[in-house]
Amino acid sequence: MREKFKGGLAALALALVASTCVLAPSVAGASGQVPLNLDNEQGMEWACSFNPFLPTSSPYSVGVTYETLDFIDALQNAKVTPWLASADAWSNNDKTLTFTIRSGVKWTDGKPFSAADVAYTFNLLKKYPALDSNAVWSVLSSVKQVGSDKVVFNFSTSAVPYFYYVADQVPIVPEHIWSKIANPVTDPISSPVGTGGYIMSKCTPQNIQWTSNPHYWQPGLAQVKTVNMPAFLSNNTANEYLATGQSQYGAQFIPNIKSYYVDKKAGNSYWFPPVANVSLFPNLTVAGLSDVAVRQAISYGIDRAAVSKIGEYGYEPAASQTGIVAPTFSSWSSSTAMKSAGSGYDPAKAKALLKADGYKLDSSGVYAKNGKQLAFTVITNGGYSDWIASMQVLSTQLAKIGIKITVDPIASSNFYADVYAGKFQLAYNVETGGPSPFYEFRQWLYSKNSAPIGQAAASNWERYNSPAVDKLLNQYGATTNVATQHSIMNQLQTIMVQQAPVIPVLEEVDWFQYNTKEFSGFPTAKNPFAQPALYNEPDWGVVLLHLKPLS
Amino acid sequence: MRYLVRRVGFLLVALWAALTLNFLIPRLMPGNPAESMMAKFHGHVNPAAIKALEVAFGINNHQSLISSYFEYINNTLHGNLGLSLSYFPIPVSTVIMRALPWSLGLVGVSTILGFVIGTALGAVAAWRRGGLLDSVLPPVFIVISAFPYFWIGLLSVWFFALTLGWFPILGGYTETATVTWSFSFVGDILWHAVLPAFTILLTSIGGWILTMRNNMITVVAEDYVKMARAKGLKPRRILWQYAGRNALLPNLTGFAMSLGFVISGAILVEYVFNYPGLGFTLLQAVQNEDYPLMQSLFLLITVAVLVAIFISDIATALLDPRTRSSS
Repeated sequence: MREKFKGGLAALALALVASTCVLAPSVAGASGQVPLNLDNEQGMEWACSFNPFLPTSSPYSVGVTYETLDFIDALQNAKVTPWLASADAWSNNDKTLTFTIRSGVKWTDGKPFSAADVAYTFNLLKKYPALDSNAVWSVLSSVKQVGSDKVVFNFSTSAVPYFYYVADQVPIVPEHIWSKIANPVTDPISSPVGTGGYIMSKCTPQNIQWTSNPHYWQPGLAQVKTVNMPAFLSNNTANEYLATGQSQYGAQFIPNIKSYYVDKKAGNSYWFPPVANVSLFPNLTVAGLSDVAVRQAISYGIDRAAVSKIGEYGYEPAASQTGIVAPTFSSWSSSTAMKSAGSGYDPAKAKALLKADGYKLDSSGVYAKNGKQLAFTVITNGGYSDWIASMQVLSTQLAKIGIKITVDPIASSNFYADVYAGKFQLAYNVETGGPSPFYEFRQWLYSKNSAPIGQAAASNWERYNSPAVDKLLNQYGATTNVATQHSIMNQLQTIMVQQAPVIPVLEEVDWFQYNTKEFSGFPTAKNPFAQPALYNEPDWGVVLLHLKPLS
Repeated sequence: MRYLVRRVGFLLVALWAALTLNFLIPRLMPGNPAESMMAKFHGHVNPAAIKALEVAFGINNHQSLISSYFEYINNTLHGNLGLSLSYFPIPVSTVIMRALPWSLGLVGVSTILGFVIGTALGAVAAWRRGGLLDSVLPPVFIVISAFPYFWIGLLSVWFFALTLGWFPILGGYTETATVTWSFSFVGDILWHAVLPAFTILLTSIGGWILTMRNNMITVVAEDYVKMARAKGLKPRRILWQYAGRNALLPNLTGFAMSLGFVISGAILVEYVFNYPGLGFTLLQAVQNEDYPLMQSLFLLITVAVLVAIFISDIATALLDPRTRSSS
C-alpha cells in the first residue's frame, strides 16, 4: 500500500535501496500453469483467518471465496451485475426490496446454495452486531425468505443507497456450516466454504494459496489455476518482487514508478483509477475556520496540481471543490457548481475574499482580524510520507496568500483518535466513499454521522450541521429516480463550492500494477469492469475470475 | 532453606507487580483498538465498521476497571491470554508461538555464542596480559559497544547487503519461498540470520570480554593458580580448569539475565532487519494497540527475566556457599 515512514530508519533504508535484494524464484504451480502471485504488503504475516464479516479478514475471502448478491462497479457509474441474485425489485414506496435468488449455484462442499442461506446470513448479522460492519441493520427491519427463491428485505426508513451495502458488501455464507459454529465472531473460519471461483487451499503465516473452483457456476471464468499471496513485512521487498516481475498483480505504492517499475520488465503496467477525495477537514468549531470566507480562501489558495506533482509523484490527480471525483464520477458533475468554483487555484481571489471579510495583513505577512492571525495546524497521518510531503507543499502555498499552516504528522492510531474526537484545527484525511459520489457526500455532510467535540464521530469529522443539507441527503435516500438524484447532487455541489465545509485537495486512487506477459484480462481505463486494488472487495475477486493465462 | 523461601517470595511479589502494571499501562494509551484498526484500513472500510469492531473487541462494554482487572488476572492464571486484536480472531498464544522460534533461534543462539566467544577471548587476553590480544581486543570492543545498536545494524546493512550484496537486506526468510524443512529453505533462513546475528555478536561480545578479563586477572594472582604452576601443570589446563572456572562464576548471573531477555527478542535488531520474531511482534502490537498481545508479550518477557534471575540465584547459591549465609 502506501510507503511506510518508520522514523528515520526507513527513510535511510529507502534512500539506500536501489536495485538489490536477491529473491528466490517463485513457487511453481502444480498444474504446470504459471501461478499468479499477488503483491499486497500489509506489514504483517497472515492470520489465516477467513471470516468474511470481520474487516481484518474480509479482504482475503470476500469476492474470492464468498460472493455477494450483486456486483456493483464504482468505476462504471455503479453498474449492477446480478451475481448470487438473478434479479431485484423495489416496492412499497422504495421501502421493500425483493431479491430473486439464482438457482444452480453450489457451495464448494457440493451442497446446493439457496434463498435460505441468504436469509440466514442477514439474520446472522442481526444476531451478532459485531459482524454487521456495514450497519445494514440500522435501516433494516426484517429479512425473510418468501417462496423457494425469493428473499424480501423490509426497511424501517427509506434507505435506497443501502442497496449497495446489502447487495455488494454483505457476503453470503452457508447456513449448514455457520449454524454449527458456536461463536461466529471469534471463530477463525480457517477453511472457508463459499460459492466463489477460488478455494483457499493452503494458508501459512507466509503465504495464502487459492486454487480455482472446478465446479464454479459461471462457466469460462476462474481460468487461472493457482494464486499465491505472500506476506510482506516491508514495502521494499514487496516493491522489488513486483518490479522484477515475480508478481504479476500488485497493489503497492511505488515511488518513481516509471523508472522503478515500468522500465524494469516488459509488460509492467499500472493504472490508478481515482475513487474518493483526500481532503482538508476544517474543524468548524474553531474560530477562523468557522468563517466561510477563510475556508474558501484556503480552497482558492491551494495549487492542487503542484501538490499532486510534488507530494504524490502525480499519481493522485488534483481534486475539485465540487467534490466530484473526475473522471470516475464525471457524469454527476454540475456545470453550475463547476462554473462558480472557477479554475480552482486563484490566489488573487483568495486574498480578495479575506480582505472583503475584514482581514488585514499584519507585520509578519499573515492575515488577521481583531488581532487574531489566520494561523492553523494541520494534522496528518505520520505513517504516510506522501501525505506529509503534500501538506508541506500546501503550507508554503497558503503562506503566499497570508495563511500560516503548521504541519503536524502524528502516529497513525493517535491521528485517527484525534480526527474522530475532533481534536484538530485542520485534518488531512480520506473518506471511504462508495460506488457514486453520494456516499462520500453523505459521509462528509450528514449531521447524524457527526458527534460533539470530544466524542467519536465515525465520519463528518469537521462537524458540519445543516438541516437543509440533511434534508437533501434524506430525499436522495428515499428515491430511485435518477433525475431527482442528479438534481440533489447538483445542489450539494453548489453548497460544497459556496460553503467549503470540506476542502478536497487530491483524488484518492486505487494502487494497481499488473504485468501482461503471463496473464491477460486485467481491468484498464478502457475496460474498468471492477476496482483493481487488492484491498477492494469483492472487486479483486471479480478481477481474478476474468484473468486468463497466456501460457 | 530460609534463603530459598525469601527468593520464592520475592519472585511472587515481583510477578504480581508485573501483572498489575501490565494491565494498567496499555489502558493509559490514547485512542482505542477499534480506532487504530480503522487507521490501518486507510479508509477502505465503511466508517460504520467502527461500531461493529468495538462490539467485536469488547470496547465500551461498561465493565469497570476493577472487574476487568480481576477477570484479566483470572484468565492469565488459567493460561488464557485472549484473542489478538490485530490478528483477530486468532488467539494470542498462536501469534506468540509463531514468533517465538525466530527469536529463540536468532537472539538465543547469538547470545550464547556471544557469551562463549567473549568469555574465551577475555580469559585468553588476561592469561597473556600485555600480549597482542590483550592490547587490541578490549579497547576496540569498548568503542564498538558504545555505538547505538541500530547504527551498527544500519551500517552493516549498507555495507554487506547493499554495497556488497552478500546478504539480504531484511526478513527472516525469503518471503515468497515455500516453507518446508527442505535443505534450501533452512539454508535460506541461515543466510537471512547471518547479518542480524553478526551485529548482535559484535555489540554484546565486548561486555563479556571485559568482565571475564578483569575476573581472570584477579583469579590468576590467587595462590592455587601459583600452586598449579608450581606442580608443573600444562598452562592450557591451568587456564581453563583452574583459573577460568572460578573467574566464570560472577559472569553467570549476567548471562542468566541476558538469556531471560532473549524472549524480548532484541526489539531493535528485529526492527532494523524486519525479523519476524517477538520483538517485531511487540512493536506491531504497540502500533496497533493490540492490548491482549502487548500484555502477553510484556508478561512473557517479565516472567522470563524473573525466572532466569531466580535460577541464577539458586545456581550461585549452590556453587558458592558464601552467598547462602546472611552476614
